[in-house]
This record gives sequence, C-alpha cells and structure tokens, in this order.
Amino acid sequence: MELVALQGLNFVYISLTLALVALGLAVVFGLLGVMNMAHGEFVMLGAYSVLVVQNAGLPFLAALPLALAVCAAVGWLLEFFVIRHLYRRPFDTLLATWGLAILMREIVEAVFGRDYKSVNQSLPGTVEVLGAVYPAYRVVLMALMVAFFAGLFLWYRRSNTGARIKAMVSNPALATAVGVNTAVLARGAFIFGVCMAGLAGVALAPLVRVEPYMGIDYLLSSFFILVVGGLGSLAGLLVGSTVIGGSDAIVSAITSKTGGYMTVLIISILFLWLRPNGIVSRD
Amino acid sequence: MASSRAINVLFLIGLLLVPFLWDSFVAYQLGLFLLYGMVGQGIGLCWGRAGFLPLGQALFFGVGAYVFGSALKLEAGSLFLIAGLLAAILLPALIAFVVGFLVFIRQIGSGPYFSLITLALTMLGFQLANSMDWLTGGFNGMTGIPALPGTDTYETLYYVIWAALVLVSGVLAYVGTAPFGQLLGATAQNEERLQYFGFNTALLKAIAFAISAAVAGLAGALFAPHQGIVTPQSVGFLLSAEIVVWTAVGGRASLMGPVLGAILIGFMASELRDSFQYWEVLIALVFVIVVIRFPGGLWSLVEGLAHRLPSFGAKGARRRDIETDKSRANGPVRLAFEDVELVLGPVRILDKLSFRIETPGVHSIIGPNGAGKTSAFNVLTGRLKPTAGRIEYSGAPVGGLSRHRIARMGIARKLQIPSVFPDLSVDRNVDIALWAGDLTLTKMFTLRPFRWSTPLLNEMYDIFPFLEDGRQPAGSLSLGQRQKLDFAMTCLTQSPLLLLDEPCAGLSSSETGEMIDAIERIVGTTGSTAIIIEHDMQVVERLSNHVLVLNQGALLANGAMEEIRSDPAVQAVYGGGSK
Repeated sequence: MELVALQGLNFVYISLTLALVALGLAVVFGLLGVMNMAHGEFVMLGAYSVLVVQNAGLPFLAALPLALAVCAAVGWLLEFFVIRHLYRRPFDTLLATWGLAILMREIVEAVFGRDYKSVNQSLPGTVEVLGAVYPAYRVVLMALMVAFFAGLFLWYRRSNTGARIKAMVSNPALATAVGVNTAVLARGAFIFGVCMAGLAGVALAPLVRVEPYMGIDYLLSSFFILVVGGLGSLAGLLVGSTVIGGSDAIVSAITSKTGGYMTVLIISILFLWLRPNGIVSRD
Repeated sequence: MASSRAINVLFLIGLLLVPFLWDSFVAYQLGLFLLYGMVGQGIGLCWGRAGFLPLGQALFFGVGAYVFGSALKLEAGSLFLIAGLLAAILLPALIAFVVGFLVFIRQIGSGPYFSLITLALTMLGFQLANSMDWLTGGFNGMTGIPALPGTDTYETLYYVIWAALVLVSGVLAYVGTAPFGQLLGATAQNEERLQYFGFNTALLKAIAFAISAAVAGLAGALFAPHQGIVTPQSVGFLLSAEIVVWTAVGGRASLMGPVLGAILIGFMASELRDSFQYWEVLIALVFVIVVIRFPGGLWSLVEGLAHRLPSFGAKGARRRDIETDKSRANGPVRLAFEDVELVLGPVRILDKLSFRIETPGVHSIIGPNGAGKTSAFNVLTGRLKPTAGRIEYSGAPVGGLSRHRIARMGIARKLQIPSVFPDLSVDRNVDIALWAGDLTLTKMFTLRPFRWSTPLLNEMYDIFPFLEDGRQPAGSLSLGQRQKLDFAMTCLTQSPLLLLDEPCAGLSSSETGEMIDAIERIVGTTGSTAIIIEHDMQVVERLSNHVLVLNQGALLANGAMEEIRSDPAVQAVYGGGSK
C-alpha cells in the first residue's frame, strides 16, 4: 500500500511536471507556430539554477525566482534577436531554434562541464500521504502546479489578454488592425512558454541527472504529449501527459527503460497516423 | 549548370589525389569525414531539395555500421559479405520508408512533426544499441571488426571510400536531375498544388527519405571496417546533430557542400577541440548564422568563384520530340452532389448542396461572397472532407478521398490565387502538368519524360506565346502571366473535368478577353467539361450556357443565363445589380 501510494505520488508529480513543460511548448507552438527545438534547454537551465542555488548555500525554493529570471532573460534575447524575424516561417524557426539549442548546450557545457551533476535530495520536511512518507516541498509544488493550471485556465478564458491572444492566433493582421500589439503579445507568450519549461526544470532537478544534454528528452516527451493530447486545450494537455507519462512508467517498470521509450514513440506515431489532431482537437 | 558539374568533378579528383599530396594518415582521417559527408549528402537531398529536415540520420548510419560490422566479424565468405552490405543499405532504407510514409501521409508540408519523430528514433536507436548487448556489444560497442577483405585500413580503404563517394554523388546527381528530383523540388515549393496534379507527395518524400537512409547505411557499412569498432554513439543523437550542422555550413542545397562541410569542420575540430575551449560554442554560433543568413553555405562561395571562370559550354535548347497522347477516353462527365454538407466549427458552409453536371462545355458557379463556391471545389478535390452527403464522379464516390487520388480520377483544379512552382522554370512547370497522371514511378527515374509533348501543348504555345520562353523561373512572371501559366497547366493535364476558380481574377480587361478565348478554345478542342467560379457576369455570359447560383451553402437557382436573370430569388440576392 505504501509502495503503491509512493509510486502514485511520484507518477502524479512527474505527470504534472511534464504537463508544465508541455504547456510551455504548447503555448509557443500552438499560439505562435514556433516549434521551439530549444524548449528542452530551458528545462536544463531551470535544473542548473537549482545547482547554482545549492552551490551558493541557498534554500531550494530560491531556485524558482532564479530560474524564472534566467529563462525570461534568455527567452527575451532569443525572441528579440532571432525568433521574431521568423514568425510564420515554421521551417526556419525549427532550424534556428535547433541551432540555438546546440548553442545553449555548448555554453552550459563550457561553463559547468560535461559531467552529470546531482542535486541534493535530502531536503528537510516530510509529510505522510496515504501512508507514504513524501517530501513536503514536492507536495507543495504539486499543489502549486494544480492551482497554477486552474488559474491559467480561468484567466485565459476570462481575461482581456486571453481574448487578445486568441485574436492574434486566429488572424494576426486583423488583430494588429484593431489595435492589438501582436509583437509584444507574441514576445510575452514566448517568454511565458520558456519560463514554464524553466520552472519544470526546477521541479525535476532533484529527480534526474542534471547535465547539458538533458533537455532533448523533455523536448521529445512534451512533443509526444502534444501529439497525443492535441494542441489548444488544457484538457488535452493533461490527458496527453497522463497517457505519455503513464505508459512510459508502466512499460518501463515491466520491461526496461528502452521498452517504455519505444512504447511512447509507437503511441505517438500511431496518434499521428490515426488522430492527427490529438485526443482533444481544437475544432 | 555545366560549370557547377565541372567543379564537382574537380573536387572529387582533388580528393582522390590527397594520399599522394599529403600522406596516408591524412587520407585515413579524411576517409571518416567523407563517410560523414555522404550522410550529409543524403540530408541535403531531403532538406535542400525536398524541404523536410531529418534530425536522426545517424540512426541509419549506425544500423549500417552494426549490420556490416557483424557480417565482417562472421568472416563467412564474400557472398555473405555482399549480402551483409545489401542488408546494411536496404534495412535503413526500409525503416526510413515506413516511418516517412506514415508521418508524411498525415502531415502535409515541412512541419516539425517529421523532424521530431526522426529525432526520437535516433534516441531510441541509441538506447537499443546500449541495451542489446548480445547483438551490439552494448555500451562498449562491437569491437574487433576486421578490415575489409582485400584492403588495408590505413592505406587502400581510402580508395574504396572515395569510390563510394563517387557512386553516391553520381546517383544523387542523377536522382536530382531526373523527374523525381524535379518533383521533390516542386513538393518543397507547393506540395498541395502537386497533389492536385495527381502526385502522391507522401510517397515521393518517403522515397527521398529512404534514399537518404540507404546512403547513410552505405556510409555506416564502410565506417565499421574503417574504425574497427562500432559504439552506440554511431547511432546517437549527437552524431545526427553534428552531421546536420556540417551539412548546413557546407551547403545543404548543393551536392558537394555537405562533404566540404564535413571535411572542413572535421579537420578544424581535430585541431582545435582540445586547445580552444569554446570551439563547440563557436561552431553552434556559425550554424545559427548560416541557417538564418546564408542558406547556401560555403559551397555557394565556391560556386560564386567558379562562375567567374569561362563556362564549359551551355546546354542546348531542349527538344520536346516525344509525342504523347494524353487525351483520355472522354465520355461525358457525370458529376453529382447529393445533399453535401460541410460544417467547420459553428459555421455551416455547405447546407445540403445538390446539383448534377452531365453535359460537356462550360458551366459557371456564381453567388455572393461566402456562398460556398470555393468550398464546393474544396470538398470535390479533397481539400476538405464533407461532413455529410455524397459526391459522385463518373459513378464513383469521391468524398473523403485524398487529393491526388481524386486528381487521378480526372479532376484538375486551378486555385483562385495563381499557384505555380516559382523556383522552377516555366518549362518544368509545364512538364509537371504533362506528367500528371501518366508518370509512373519507374519513369520518374528516367530522363525521357523531359521530352514529352502533346498537341495541346503546341496549341497552348499558340495561345500564350510567352510560355515558349521556357527557361525563366515561373516566379519571375507577372501576375497575369502566372494566372495564364496556372490555367495552361491545369488544362495540360487533359483531365475530363476542369475546375477553374476565378481564372480572370487580377487580369486586365484585354487579358480577360484573351483568357475567355483561351477557355473557349481549349474546352472546344479537348471536349472536356469546365466548371468556372466567376464574379464577372460578362465572362459568365460569354462562356457558359449553364449557370448555377449558390447562396448560403445551397443551390438557389440552376439553368440558362436568361432563366437565372429573370429568377426573382436570384434578383433578391443580387439586389438587381449586374455585378
């Protein structure tokens, strides 16, 4: 029972984190049409923020503002100097962000080295959930993520900015004509998207190996989530994360990590083939 | 053209001389870069020509290396070795074809889906190579691979690699020049238009991807004896990424650019990687700049220099001396829409649209904006799937079939905005129309189809003389000329049913007159049926005796022009105006 509860909690934690990464990619890809190949590298930046914070002797949660600041700054730079010149040229953005991903990896590698870093896991404070002893900060992070998703959902539906974003997505020229500053809006959406990846990187850092090449896995899993869940709805995002995270966890436990990965890949190709718009499609 | 071919040959001869000019160790190092360069040439075919980017090419390289490496290790005679080499080439090609076809058939365009799937495949390959110890030697790799029989790894193997490079370059050059390569280029420019000509673009792209995988497999096969060891790194993501970088920096659109990129960056890396800490950062930066600013890469500099040299002789004027008969058995066209509905989101675009067209000649569809005229064409040609109802063409159901299948049933379509292949010459645009429906897969790899001609083409030259100046790119034509070229291409397919969406849009009044004459003349000679969407009542009046009026997604009236004119319902919609 304890073991089941522990596995269950871990699964929920990972799925929520994956959903956060995928949310960032969904915003950037779904709204701006930019397949940001450097998305995973922002997860990596988030994870390295934890490392920096830890080396400086600061508490774990200090990594959250640091990751946000770093990702926002790097995201702004990328958007300003590269991406904004390439909107509505999907192939060029793919290539450019691919190059930027390599650049970010190489810079981090040059600064921090190639080797695996591990982040201290023994953070103080545990709570008992359904008989399982679980780190308190993770429970807090989970609650924060759930609250965040709910808040985002309501905000996007009700707020003016949400409406302006929808206007920009469905008809950029008309949106500009009626006074929506699409350039600022797009930049904001891009920075928001990469910051989500950074936050997820903070949440993941204690669970995984922190290394310059860790981002690719998250780029791919969030891409799979979008393929399965479909673009454009939060429900699809959560379903996608559960399907991808769940099948990976289950098959990996039964066979091997490779088996889990292969299952996820096959599921994704099948979805592309049978349901190209995902489970929850936009229209 | 002639000079760039000469440079390619000079470049290859230069590579052959390397062991004599330097020493055999340089040649040994160079051999590895040539192998990577070949993989890059394959990427160039997909990326530079067909416009989709494979990010996991090392998978095929690695599969080739493992397969041929095992064959070498078994030392079971030369026949077995040849079988191993074939497997090392064909297995990657098969994997690529299946995956490519599955993805391309659902995802039109150069979208990122394909790139990410290939990236995921190479990650999977890496994990498999690591975990399947019994087959691959696992993490430590497959070791102790003997030399290729009859060669010395550090001396003569270089010539084998060079010969493979020449072979691959020759094959890729030929494939690029043949109709197949031209169609790939057209796919990159306007995939949907190519589908309306009846080409299965998913199949074309999957074949291109399979060719690139076969090339990577061959390079991998030679990598095994060259290194004597194959590790999971050879299948992995890092190598895939590096080869893409070399291809981009060298020049993805050229045949030899990827090889040049691999050689230059390869040698510089082995010099600088250890002494200059930020080498990789620098390369990544160069890649970003090349991708955004200099898509031609380094090879375009080489070619730029070469164009200052005297040309080796220009290509002669092309001959179209193979008369083909494209006129299909032209019974009267039978087209029927029965209660066709199209609902997109909350909008009901077509609302139980029903009509029949069973006589040859020109039929016109008119109606106010938003009446569903173009949507009727869209559901008929497979651009949109009807939500309900039935569309029949010559007795066979059409609804829901893919675009190229419908086109092959004999329905040709000209889109509202003239859409030609801008980077191809006018001649090549015309070729594609002539090939429509008749170019089999085998003929795509022969040069004869470039000489095809039809009686209708000569008539077309007569109507639109500018078409005869075939060497200028279609993108440099004026809007009116593009409109005419697009119309000509649609007719040259000699489909029994021609769908013309506002063929006179954007034309001056004299050009409109020309176009009307052309439509009348072509429909008259070919005996085909044309359906025209038109706003200009003068055009409608002159061309057609049968007019369909659409309003709010349904048929409002249907009959001869005089009947339509006197119909009170039509008068109400049009408010009595003549336009």
